[in-house]
Amino acid sequence: MTRRTLRRPDWLRAGPAVVLALTVAVGTLVALGLRPPATSTAGDIAAGTPVPAPALSGVTLDGGRFDLAAARGHVVLVNVFASWCGPCRDELPLLVDAERRWAPRGLRLVGLNIRDGTEAVRALLDETGATALTVLRDPDGTRAIGWGVRGVPETFLVDRDGGIIDRQRGVVTRQWLEQRVAPLLAG
Amino acid sequence: MKWRGALTALALTALVVAAGAGLARSAGDSPGQDPVRAVAAGLRCPACQGESVADSRSPIAAAMRQVVADQLAQGRDRDEIRRWFVQRYGADVLTDAPARRTELLLWGVPLAALLGGGYAALRTLRPRAPRVAPVVTAAAAPNARTAGRAWRAMSVGLFALVASVAVATYHLDRPARQAAAPADPIAVAVQLARDLEAQHRYDAAARMYREALRERPDDAVQLRLAFVLLQAGDTAGATGAARQVLAHAPDSPDGLLVLGLAERTSRPAEAERVLRRFLTVAPEHQAAAEISRLVGGVNRVDATAPPDTRSPAQRSR
Repeated sequence: MTRRTLRRPDWLRAGPAVVLALTVAVGTLVALGLRPPATSTAGDIAAGTPVPAPALSGVTLDGGRFDLAAARGHVVLVNVFASWCGPCRDELPLLVDAERRWAPRGLRLVGLNIRDGTEAVRALLDETGATALTVLRDPDGTRAIGWGVRGVPETFLVDRDGGIIDRQRGVVTRQWLEQRVAPLLAG
Repeated sequence: MKWRGALTALALTALVVAAGAGLARSAGDSPGQDPVRAVAAGLRCPACQGESVADSRSPIAAAMRQVVADQLAQGRDRDEIRRWFVQRYGADVLTDAPARRTELLLWGVPLAALLGGGYAALRTLRPRAPRVAPVVTAAAAPNARTAGRAWRAMSVGLFALVASVAVATYHLDRPARQAAAPADPIAVAVQLARDLEAQHRYDAAARMYREALRERPDDAVQLRLAFVLLQAGDTAGATGAARQVLAHAPDSPDGLLVLGLAERTSRPAEAERVLRRFLTVAPEHQAAAEISRLVGGVNRVDATAPPDTRSPAQRSR
């Protein structure tokens, strides 16, 4: 009886090496596959490069009609707000005041009220002295998502050609209005 | 001897069954039933931290779910919807989805290791067949050698497994760390600016830093701003920002560094003086070596290629 007959078949002898090679290969694949994805710059508005504003039209809270496309030639502030959002309550007076002061120079303000009840919005407008505000309703919030809204409040600055040239996430400040909006206005 | 082998086989079987059950459970709860949920689970809620649109209770996430449902009803498929969201929110809106493939690999690697281990254990523990008894000494040597090789291979394989998991968790760890951003709005702005900086979006980062500085002046942030402006090619802005810091901290190494680099083209003599001062103030600084090379041959160096002025945190990225 020679030693050859006692040997295991070749494929069995290669087993551990194959297992090792497989483990290493799989481990490498896992390590490579989990590299963090490259972050893209898409979807973020860099100041100075206007992005065409999505359509925004419909019946307003007081029964009128509003169409952003018809507001070409005006600088439009689109303020996304809700009555359940505290900071929105704080910034509304400032925005309404800005529109009152700057309307003659071509500024328009429209509120996009998301996921809210009619009564609650009316109460909010009464409280903040913003009863004259043009309000479009967005009960399920889908229009706001079309604008890429990340939270409330958020305010978009649309130039006279209908392009979004800036957005303010969070509360609008007097400074932002002076620095970003005022330069676009006539006179 | 025999019951030991049986016990091992039993334990191995139990392990394999448990792993299989776990695999089945983890694969079971995804897609399938609710298409809205399936798409929403692949989207990150922009208003919250570390939650998918499917799981978040925020109104924005609810609105996004509604959009997903509407678009599915219009007959759009998952990829079209995801593209729609990426156009509006950027690629960050996707829960980077390390794809199910890699998750399956994470199960497959331990399984392969387990099977290999089982094979090696069988080789070692299997009682020798009686009919080879006459030549048992001749047979034992190669058998033991192979078993030893198998065990060694398994230990290396196990090491590879641990290493791959370590590498994987290192990569997975980072988004989690970023998600746990502090609630302080200015700290958030600074963090955001740092992220932008890491993406080489220096103009946007500079804007964020400026915003943070307006609310709360801070030398460290002012210096970051100066660095970023320098990277963005705004040497005048960088000079201004650095000077503001140097006005009340004349020996700030980073301030001197940025000022020197920023003035290298406009006022080379002054820049060299400032950089030499930087070297005396902070000879141990991480940029010191590059700067001393630079000052050694200030005319030779291409002024359009500033040396690496990133922070240590960024370098490690």
